[in-house]
Amino acid sequence: MIGRVRSQTSEASKFIVDWMEHRTGIVTILEHALYEPVPKRGTWLYTLGSATLLLISLQFLTGILLLFYYVPTTTEAWNSVYYIMNEAYFGQLIRGIHYWSANFLMATIGLHMARTFFSGAYKSPRELNWIIGVILLLLVVGLSFTGYLLRWDQDGFWASVVGIKIGSYSPFVGGYITHFLVGGDTIGPATLSRFFAIHVWLLPAAIAPFIGIHLYLLRRHGEFGSDIEYTDRLSKLRERQRMEEYDRYELEEDGHDENGRDRE
Amino acid sequence: MGSDDDLKGRLEGAKRLAELQKDRITRGDFLGFGLLGAVTGAILTIPPVAFVLTPIIKTDVLGNSDVSEEWVEVGHISEITKEAPKDFTIEFPITQSYGDKKIQEESGVSETDYNVRNAVWLSWRDHEPPSFIEGLKKGDSITQSQIEEASQRINVLSNSCAHLGCPVRWVITEGEGEFLCPCHGGIYDINGTYVAGPPPRDMYSYTYEIRENGNVYVKHEFDVQPGIPGISTQEPYVI
Repeated sequence: MIGRVRSQTSEASKFIVDWMEHRTGIVTILEHALYEPVPKRGTWLYTLGSATLLLISLQFLTGILLLFYYVPTTTEAWNSVYYIMNEAYFGQLIRGIHYWSANFLMATIGLHMARTFFSGAYKSPRELNWIIGVILLLLVVGLSFTGYLLRWDQDGFWASVVGIKIGSYSPFVGGYITHFLVGGDTIGPATLSRFFAIHVWLLPAAIAPFIGIHLYLLRRHGEFGSDIEYTDRLSKLRERQRMEEYDRYELEEDGHDENGRDRE
Repeated sequence: MGSDDDLKGRLEGAKRLAELQKDRITRGDFLGFGLLGAVTGAILTIPPVAFVLTPIIKTDVLGNSDVSEEWVEVGHISEITKEAPKDFTIEFPITQSYGDKKIQEESGVSETDYNVRNAVWLSWRDHEPPSFIEGLKKGDSITQSQIEEASQRINVLSNSCAHLGCPVRWVITEGEGEFLCPCHGGIYDINGTYVAGPPPRDMYSYTYEIRENGNVYVKHEFDVQPGIPGISTQEPYVI
C-alpha cells in the first residue's frame, strides 16, 4: 500500500518536473544556479556571499512587512515605530530581524570582501564582479544611512545630521548634496519624505539588478581559478555526479548493498 | 592554419562592413536622429530630474529659502547671567512640503508644529555683562544707548557644532566652563571661539537684533563668509 502510494507520488512529481522542464527549462536553470565547485580548503569561507544574500533577502521581506504600519511623517513616524514594537503581533521580531540583519549585513559584507581579497578572487576574469560588489557595498551603506533617520528618534536624527554634514564637506558639491538630502534649507518634513523614498524605493530598486548581475557573473566565472581551469573542474564535477548516479541505478536494479560486495 | 582563419575572419568583417555601407546613414538622417534623440532625451529626463532636484534649484539656483526670513524672538536679555550662557528654544516657520503659509492655515495642517526646533545660546562676551544689566528684570524695556551697549557685549550662538552639527552643551569641569560637543569632543569658550577638537572654525552665530522691549531677535542667517557656493564658502553647511 505505502509502496504504491510512494511510487505514484514519485511518478506524479516526475511528470510535473518534466512538464515544467519542457516548458520553462527550470530544472536546467536550477542545476546551473545551485551547483558550484569550491576549493576543499576554507570551504566555509565560501558561504559568506550566500550569507550576505540571505541577509539582504531578509531586509527585503521584513522591510515590506514594516511598511504595513510605518508612517513617514514627522508627527507619526516615531509613534508608528512604537506601535510596531509594542502592539503589533510579532512586531519586535519583524523589526528586530530588520534591525539586526542590517547590522550583521555590514559585517558579512566586510568578511565576504576580505575573503575575496585574500583568495585573490578579484583577479581576471572577475574584476568586473569586484566592481559590482563595491557598487553593492555603497548601495547598502546608503540604505543603512537612510534607514537610520526613519525612526525619527534622537539617535537616528543626530546620526543623520552628522551624516549630512559629512556630505557637506565634499569639495565643490557639498552644499548641493546637503540641499538634496535635506530637501530644503532645514531638516523638516521634506527630509523624512526624501529619506523614506530613497530607503524604500530608490536604493532597493537599484540594488536588485546589481545583485542579479553579481550572481550571473559569479556563475559565469565561478568562485576560483582561471577560466579554463574552472570549466575543467566543473566538467569533472558533472562527470563524478553522473558516475555516482549510474552506480546508484545499478545498485537499485541489482538489489545489492551499497558497496556491491555481494555482486559476483 | 591560424593565419588562414585570420584572413577568413577579416574577409567576413570586410563583407559585413560593405553590406552595411550599402544602406549608409546620410547627413540628413544623422542630424534628424540626433535632433530626435536630443528632444526625446530631454522630454524623458528633464521632468524627473527637475522634480527630484527642486530644493537645489530653489535654494542654490534661485536663492529662495524655505525658511521664513522673519525675525524670531529668542528671549529677554535680563535672563542671561554673567557666569554661564543661557539656552533658548526657537522655531522658524518653514514652507517645505506642505505648501505656502496660507494653504497651511486653511488646511489646518501646519508645518510649524513639526518643525525641528533650534537652540540658541545667549551669553555675555568674556563673562562681562553690560553695566545696566544689574537690576534689570524680565520684561523691562531698555533705551537706545543700552541696546547699543548690549549688542556689543552679547553672543548669539547656534548650538549646532561647527564640526558635524551635533548640539553643543555648556559644561563646567574646571575653571569658567566651556561648550562641549557630545559627538566628537569639539570645545569652544563662552564666545563660541574654537578651543580644541575637530571643528574647523568657531561656533556659528546668528544674525541678531536687540529691541527696546529688551528681547533678542534672530534670523535664520549665520555668519558664513560670502564666497562662491560650493567652492569658497565655509563648510560644513549649517542647517
